[in-house]
Amino acid sequence: MDPMGDVALAVRDLEVAYGGAVKALRGVSLSVPTGAVVAVLGNNGAGKSTLMRAISGSLVAHGGAVTAGSVEHQGRELVGLDAASVVRLGVVHVPEGRRIFGDLTVDENLRAGGMAAASQAARQNARKRVHDLFPILSERSRQRAGLLSGGEQQMLAIGRALMASPQVLLLDEPSLGLAPQVVERIVQVIREINADGTTVVLVEQNAAMALAIADLGSVLEVGCVALEGRAEDLAATDEIRERYLGVTPSEDVAESELPAAVHVSSADGDRPAADLVVENLTVRFGGIKALSDVSFTVEHGTTHALIGPNGAGKSTCLNVLSGVYRASGGSVRYGGTELRRLRPHRIARLGLSRTFQNLALSERETVEDNLLVGRHRLMRTGIAAAGLRLPSARRERARHLERVHEIASILRLREKLYQPVETLSYGDRKRVELARALCTEPRLLLLDEPVAGMTHDESVEMAAAITAVRSSLGITVLVIEHDMTFVMSMADHVTVLDFGRRIASGPPGEVQHDPEVLRAYLGSAAA
Amino acid sequence: MNQFLELVLSGLALGSIYSLIALGLVVVFKATRVVNFAHGSILLLGVYVIGRLQADLGFWLACAIGIVAAGAAALVVEVVLIRRLRGGDLGALAILTLGVDIVLLTELTRRLGTDVLPIGAPWGANVVDILGFRLPESRVIAAIVSAILLVGFAVAFRLSDWGVAMRAAAEDGATAGLMGIRLSRVGAGAWFLAGALATAAGVFLVSFPSAGIDASVGLVALAAIPAWVLGGFDSPLGAVIGGLVIGVVSVLTAGYQDEIAFLGRGLGDVAPWVVMLLVLLVRPSGLFGTRELTRV
Repeated sequence: MDPMGDVALAVRDLEVAYGGAVKALRGVSLSVPTGAVVAVLGNNGAGKSTLMRAISGSLVAHGGAVTAGSVEHQGRELVGLDAASVVRLGVVHVPEGRRIFGDLTVDENLRAGGMAAASQAARQNARKRVHDLFPILSERSRQRAGLLSGGEQQMLAIGRALMASPQVLLLDEPSLGLAPQVVERIVQVIREINADGTTVVLVEQNAAMALAIADLGSVLEVGCVALEGRAEDLAATDEIRERYLGVTPSEDVAESELPAAVHVSSADGDRPAADLVVENLTVRFGGIKALSDVSFTVEHGTTHALIGPNGAGKSTCLNVLSGVYRASGGSVRYGGTELRRLRPHRIARLGLSRTFQNLALSERETVEDNLLVGRHRLMRTGIAAAGLRLPSARRERARHLERVHEIASILRLREKLYQPVETLSYGDRKRVELARALCTEPRLLLLDEPVAGMTHDESVEMAAAITAVRSSLGITVLVIEHDMTFVMSMADHVTVLDFGRRIASGPPGEVQHDPEVLRAYLGSAAA
Repeated sequence: MNQFLELVLSGLALGSIYSLIALGLVVVFKATRVVNFAHGSILLLGVYVIGRLQADLGFWLACAIGIVAAGAAALVVEVVLIRRLRGGDLGALAILTLGVDIVLLTELTRRLGTDVLPIGAPWGANVVDILGFRLPESRVIAAIVSAILLVGFAVAFRLSDWGVAMRAAAEDGATAGLMGIRLSRVGAGAWFLAGALATAAGVFLVSFPSAGIDASVGLVALAAIPAWVLGGFDSPLGAVIGGLVIGVVSVLTAGYQDEIAFLGRGLGDVAPWVVMLLVLLVRPSGLFGTRELTRV
């Protein structure tokens, strides 16, 4: 079980419950040898982040508690200690979503990370090491951390954790939402950190990346360890290859499994064809040009992908299309209507609907209620009729509920309809967002990173659902995504942005080999 | 004109006292997300201790003991009551501090009875001439001491490890914990500091031209609440500016009360709140408060 001698971290029969009821881990055991990289894989909701939190003593902040089992580090029991004490024992956790202190400078973030360092000298050494690993952090040391790009923030989050000179580093989804080139850099960094003698526990949705770095791997499924072993053995098993690495494409299966409900026609009936034409779009924030002279056309009934490095202006572009931001120049026309001067709700009425990169759901409401909100623009009942529960209002509600249930089935949310959104895992929430967007019966769907944070099989399922929805409902889709397999498999047309400019546009096969795109975005990942 | 400038100067001096009190409210809010309504009675506790001890121990030693006592009392409130409810509902925590306020105030009122204790400060009722303006010596010293304390705080808050820890914990407590920052210490330190600052301010609040220490001091100290709110809840700079604004406004309205008698008497007490409401109408997050931003 432990081929490399000492055990840095021994997790035994760990059980964790949230809110005293929901069991997130049911008897997980994991042995992390000193000096190894151990990958923890699994679907959303499998309990990976929960495991990290249980080790680092930060469950309390999320309303969870360890109900049984132990976590041992160098003979010390970690369960029951608070987060700050665990750090002092040499186990440091880089949480999911980076969580840097945006109002503090880069340097102050590093200082915050060094609070638990044993001595001033240890701090100095750690800082030097961090600056060697990430020269960008010393260049930007006086800048506010909130101004860094996504990739730089991830480096800061890792650097901040290294300031405590950890013996064991817990990394939760370091590649989430990052461009392929940045992910490569993160991989190198993890290797270097490990080569310096730090043991690493890596939670990742990107199984290919995780298994490439890891010595050992464990796969969690609904709170239990389903598989474990050496990383190269795991990478060779059929199950892992299919579910997490996508070696045997399972698109056909996923498509045929989709419920028949997809083929229900939409409420609006026939719709005229309409293209979305973006011309010379320019957006300025203060003195900075976030987008300059960007043009592209999303043809009716196609799936169009918008890709590019972090900070290239993709989300900005989507925000202009949906009316959240104002453009400084250029035009956006949808079926002849100029969108630039319209307020968001007017744009929604034209049939444009979007999802958000950072989820924007009503956390405490049930899935069903969140989806009903999406029906709002289609409902006729006024406050009075609804309040009095007039028969017409009840009939209308029933009709819309029926449609909500259909859409929930398409996205496999049927059993989750009556759960509050806050109890769902990240991947499920992403699906709720998509379902809510579909509930508005859109003609054009704007998707901001729909599969970020999903495992390969989940993203294949998502792609299948989007494709099915598109063909049966005649919806046009504009999607932003970093997952290249996902983009290449479903997009008809790809537009690439870099530093607010369009650097390429064309069919996926062509764009993939464009030298400019390789340089700016894909890096060697495409090779 | 001369009277106006004199009132403004005197207002700034009074305002610097409010700034110190409001700063305590900001520090407590930043570190523990608590709206502390017990702040006024903790201040009263501090000056009460000084008033009782100064005759025997001398003013300076009594001051030191009073400041530490108020800091310790605030710390006990944090450790015994607030910490258990960390991250709890803002409203519930605020009501909890109201309860603490009532208990403390009732006990201190019982002990004080109808007494008005002298603070026994060496500056007594002296009046000094500065550039032709006549100001109470206590207010001039208040302004100097406040300036020193505020600058000291600003430097520590910006540059020291304590300041970094405090700001990190204020921005994202859970993550600060993962970095090894002990949230319990940050919280306890903030409450202690708030109690100590309040008492330092309280010494001047009960000096001449005030009569001395009586049970109403806790209420007078509440004038720092509009200062805190209009400055923006979580901004130390906002607390300072807010304190100065409220000080000037209340001294001016009191000084010109004959001219504005048509608005009714006692306007000096109301004016700070009116100013607060006006500022909030224009800037709902206060002058320097963190605005809620959502990136989509």
